[in-house]
Amino acid sequence: MKRIAVVTTIYRYLSHAQHFADRFLVGYPKEGRWHRPNMKVVSLYVDQKPEGEQSQDRAREFGFSVYPTIAEALRCGGHKIAVDAVLLIGEHGEYPTNEKSQVLYPRYDFFKACVKVFEEDGRAVPIFNDKHLSYSFEKAKEMVEDGHRLGFGVLAGSSLPVTWRLPDVDLPLECEIEEALMVGVGGSDPMDYHAMEAMQCMTERRKGGETGVAAVELIDGEEVWKAGEDGRWSLELLEAALSRSDTPCGLTDEDGRTQDMIGNGEIYRLVENPAAYFIEYNDGLQATLLMLNGAVRDYCFAAKLKDEPVPVSTQFFLTPTPNVTYSACLIAKIEELFETGAAPYPVERTLLVSGALESCLTSRHQGHVRLETPHLNVEYRAPAESQHARR
Amino acid sequence: MEKRPKIAAIATIYHKYAHAQHIVDRFLEGYGWNSRHHYPPMDLVSLHVEQVKDNDLSRDRLERFPTMKGYPTIAEALTLGGEELAVDGVLLIGEHGEYPSNEKGQRLYPRYEHFKQMAEVFERSGRGVPVFNDKHLSWNWEWARKMYDISQDMDFAFMAGSSLPVTWRTPSIDMPLGVPVSEAVCVGYGGVDSYDFHALETLQCMVERREGGESGVKWLQAYRGDAFWEAHHTELWSRELFEAALCRSHTLTPSRPGFNNPFPTLDELKEIVKDPIAYQYKHNDGLKSTMILMNGLVQDFNFAAYIGSSDEILSTQMYLPMPPARTTLANFFSPLVNNIEQMFLTDEATYPVERTLLTTGLVAAGVDSLFNESTKQETPHLDIAYQPTDESTFWRT
Repeated sequence: MKRIAVVTTIYRYLSHAQHFADRFLVGYPKEGRWHRPNMKVVSLYVDQKPEGEQSQDRAREFGFSVYPTIAEALRCGGHKIAVDAVLLIGEHGEYPTNEKSQVLYPRYDFFKACVKVFEEDGRAVPIFNDKHLSYSFEKAKEMVEDGHRLGFGVLAGSSLPVTWRLPDVDLPLECEIEEALMVGVGGSDPMDYHAMEAMQCMTERRKGGETGVAAVELIDGEEVWKAGEDGRWSLELLEAALSRSDTPCGLTDEDGRTQDMIGNGEIYRLVENPAAYFIEYNDGLQATLLMLNGAVRDYCFAAKLKDEPVPVSTQFFLTPTPNVTYSACLIAKIEELFETGAAPYPVERTLLVSGALESCLTSRHQGHVRLETPHLNVEYRAPAESQHARR
Repeated sequence: MEKRPKIAAIATIYHKYAHAQHIVDRFLEGYGWNSRHHYPPMDLVSLHVEQVKDNDLSRDRLERFPTMKGYPTIAEALTLGGEELAVDGVLLIGEHGEYPSNEKGQRLYPRYEHFKQMAEVFERSGRGVPVFNDKHLSWNWEWARKMYDISQDMDFAFMAGSSLPVTWRTPSIDMPLGVPVSEAVCVGYGGVDSYDFHALETLQCMVERREGGESGVKWLQAYRGDAFWEAHHTELWSRELFEAALCRSHTLTPSRPGFNNPFPTLDELKEIVKDPIAYQYKHNDGLKSTMILMNGLVQDFNFAAYIGSSDEILSTQMYLPMPPARTTLANFFSPLVNNIEQMFLTDEATYPVERTLLTTGLVAAGVDSLFNESTKQETPHLDIAYQPTDESTFWRT
């Protein structure tokens, strides 16, 4: 039975650590069964322990120990690494924010503390890193390189790429994408990260595979609508994405009606501060993330494929709180990493998104300038088989 | 250019989140469908609303859509104020509004009465047009049967029922056509004579695809409270299927504080679900189906069945994006309206109304069983055999 160390910022109700680690403790719904992973959480490191946190409770109930350092957690208090996998969850907790409004979660520091143990003890084990790798692309890149250098599996990212889709569609592998667009909502960062990774898990399936990002630009306010009129992003694709939304606001909130939010102009009235994240890929593909707080409350994608008259579109289904069963979809992928040692989809996806997001936020910070991003020449291939929840 | 069908809508009430609002609004305002904001290629030209109260939206809709006219009677809505039938399709939406209940707790929605008034216009005009009846046909089995018989005698396309059979599924699967099914379970929520109907439609849209098609129902028995737990304990229905259905839920009430998604133990189930209800029924071909309402435990509809020669489990959730807690739009009405549109355009029902005739009878039998101390109800009148459509009709695109 595989032994797991949990390394996290905070363990309290509805924090990522709670709903991720708990699934290893109490099981989770998988393909129509209550699935209990054949692995055991044996140690925990938690950075912050405010009143009401649950780490001691869980340790007592499920028979593992909480250690004061990451190294001790990985060694289970002994002298050599004594776990077979690391669940690294640097999300939630009180951490400072930088001038680009990025929360400085210590994912890189936690990861490096694990790598130090791997190197000292001469054995490396798979790591799942929750969400983006780091707020800094340089740090993120080093994390991925550590995995390659020491030969351990690294998986990272959001639940959005692996949750249910409404409808259940994926882009055909090697399709020719003319343009892609994602609608997201929530704060920046973190929610723009989720939306961007959802978009990336679709665009990476295009012909030739992922080629990396050449340039990014983030604009906001009225400029976003003007850019749509000028054709910098596609109104047709926005309509396609919105056709998948279950949460139009405004008039729908008022009296329940369906609405063509572009046609009736409501979208322009409802979104106080729209933002467009333009991603120019090395192979010429243009993709746009629109953050439209106030208009909708869900995450929808649309793409125009060559020779297809109607865009492909879908909603990334974020199932209700508190079950958030979408995270169970991600746990199944983490379990696969832990079981086989190999990531079911490339961590380069998350590396590229970590960097593209950072550069978008830099663009905003520097006055919405277009930034060339030669450092984001991250190339990879999507797995042939779709990875989202379908069974 | 093709002629655009003219449609009449007959509703009990039209307020926010009433079924009339969900359905009629989609004809007027359009709705998101296949990457477009889709406008049905037909015109809703007349509206009759029986109850107009302070929260009414029909006046707003009539004002904003002047091509639609309001009429004080059903007959006038169908004749557009003239003598003869003047529309090409009818929506009958007898759900919501203030209507009395009978001693068995059934809400006496006037679906039969409205249907009869409509049928009189059809009769007088010497022709019928396609009709959609929202939800079950009537609370009264005899009347429901009459509605069905009239549609057969007059030979007009007739569709009815719930959104559950046509909404999204997670996973997006259907019962394989013609497969043997030995037992089926639906675990849902809601009240008697309301959501029990949705759960029964969930079951029927799946099991009707089994080997031989639907054969009709021999008897039904309801279980409630302690009798439910006793039946659960003795496995009158498969506990494995019950649990498989729960494993499709996105809304399992956490049975322990501090945990967001544990699987409940039997003791915890009993603590969470104060008034469990089951309707178990036996089909003429031997299939056993059980509809279970677990109020407090789930807020979604989940299906599980043993299929094939080795009793493999097939399970899914019929997903309802339900406002106002989770969404703003009740978008499960979009595939329902899309199916209705197909009927109006082609004069053919896209799935058999016999499904809803049967579930209408099952609801009435369930209510009767509960009212008569959970006794077994023999249902020779539910000897309703029918065949499913070859193609799946749930929302997949």
